[in-house]
Amino acid sequence: MLLAALAALVLADASTASQLAWLGAAVALVFLAIGMALGSASAVHVAVAVLGGIFLLRHDTRLLLAPVYGAGLLLVEDLAIQTIELRGVGVVALDVVGARTAGVLAIATIGAVAAAAGALAVTAAPGRSVALTALGALAAVAAVAVIAWVARRRYRASE
Amino acid sequence: MRGLIALAGAGLVGALASGRPELALIAMPFLVFAGVGLVLAREPRLAVEIELDRTRLLEGSDAMATVRVRNDGGGPVQIEVALLRSRNLTLDPAGAVGILLRAGGHSELAFDVRPQRWGSHAVGPAVVRARDLLGVTTWEGRLGRRADVRAFPREQRLRELVAPLRTQPFLGTHVARVRGEGIEFADIRPFRAGDRVRHINWRATARRGAPQVNDRHPEHSSDVVLLLDTFEEARDRAGGTLDDAVRAAAALARACLARRDRVALVDFGGTLHWLEPAFGATQLYRIIDALLSSDIAFSYAWRNVDSIPLRVLPSGALVLAISPLLDERSLAMVTDLRRRGFDLTVIEVSPLDHASPGESGDDAVAFRLWRLQREAMRARLQSLGIGVAVWARDGDLGPALEGVNRFRRSARPAMRA
Repeated sequence: MLLAALAALVLADASTASQLAWLGAAVALVFLAIGMALGSASAVHVAVAVLGGIFLLRHDTRLLLAPVYGAGLLLVEDLAIQTIELRGVGVVALDVVGARTAGVLAIATIGAVAAAAGALAVTAAPGRSVALTALGALAAVAAVAVIAWVARRRYRASE
Repeated sequence: MRGLIALAGAGLVGALASGRPELALIAMPFLVFAGVGLVLAREPRLAVEIELDRTRLLEGSDAMATVRVRNDGGGPVQIEVALLRSRNLTLDPAGAVGILLRAGGHSELAFDVRPQRWGSHAVGPAVVRARDLLGVTTWEGRLGRRADVRAFPREQRLRELVAPLRTQPFLGTHVARVRGEGIEFADIRPFRAGDRVRHINWRATARRGAPQVNDRHPEHSSDVVLLLDTFEEARDRAGGTLDDAVRAAAALARACLARRDRVALVDFGGTLHWLEPAFGATQLYRIIDALLSSDIAFSYAWRNVDSIPLRVLPSGALVLAISPLLDERSLAMVTDLRRRGFDLTVIEVSPLDHASPGESGDDAVAFRLWRLQREAMRARLQSLGIGVAVWARDGDLGPALEGVNRFRRSARPAMRA
């Protein structure tokens, strides 16, 4: 349902590229279904990536919807992954799903707020320049690198 | 986790490459999720205990396994707990159980344990998968000590047993062939020096004009050797001939010990185990414990009666061989025992119930031939004076033993000749 809502958000404003948007939504739906049926997290990630990609087909270039869309995608991704993770579990206590979904919802809200702040910064910026692009690239690489480094440390510690 | 970072990275790279900041904004919740998730994630400190409410039970009956899980860590964890188990044990719930444990919290999970077959079974250790609250990191491991449950075989109540030909000079319930102190009347004979006055039959004395006394048969016990054939078995999904053989052995041991016989057990197969003859309830538990470890051990070794210690096969013992009669070595053993003069009865645990005739015509013919071969083999054993009781699955052992007793009554003169 969440996936359909996100796809509808794109389809409502993709007049000239509506066929492509429909196709993207259908591909995302198929991948999500395959991922949940076969227990493949990769297929779910592909579905989320495709769904994220079709957001660019929107005509409205205002950035305020992107954070909400990203938060929605995160929820779709986590709910699908939860479904996969709990496949072999015979009995699941209700609070297992409830607590995790509430946690993800909270993080998605924080992420959306952070993204909205980013959107405001982008609209206030004086325009595209080489220096700004380089700074953005550096920030992106640094963010991913820090997260990857922390993740690596955690995995190594648990091994 | 890798997927999340990859998605966030793809969004950022896509935004930079296409010059569309929307992708970076869409990726932002993913980045925040990965970052916060990693910062909050702590390695869980879990403790698991497995406890059974009963460690001894009958096969097919239930016990309760309680799994106590404690979270000694600093944050909440989602936990999936599954119990490792032996092959012939069923658990309810069969799969894993998912719970959420707060920091310092504990939970008790109940699993219904049911052994499908006699034997010693293991419950545990627990396979535990723990995730932090957001599911960013996962730990897996085995926790807790395994608990053992011993399932005793279901036994049939036997009203009638095979009557032994010879008895031992111990007090029992069998009327001995010899004469002595007892209840059962045997004969009248002339008075001899040393006879008790209370044994004088006054009516016969008056009639014959000389003192006559009553002779009686004493009540003696006998030695019974249970010979369990573990060379070979026929098995299908529902079970095997060894399962039934052990049930029969347990029922026979209980019934024989109840009538005050000395009972020995010989587990005769790829490996040889035995229990010397003894009386009483302790011997019953020894026998059942020994039966629980019975198994088919594949071996090419040729064994015969000489492999069995003499003290396990006392002379004059009634030997009850419980066998599916599938292996040449068991047949040779049975024949050899009879030729050595042992009072022998074979309880054939029928393998026919575990075999199907097949679908094709050739299979059906082969099946019929096999059945005829088995009938011929049974006739050959009976011609040697060996009573054969055929016990079909789910059948009653009592009527089969009654058939053997009938055979033994008619076969005795032939055996003497």
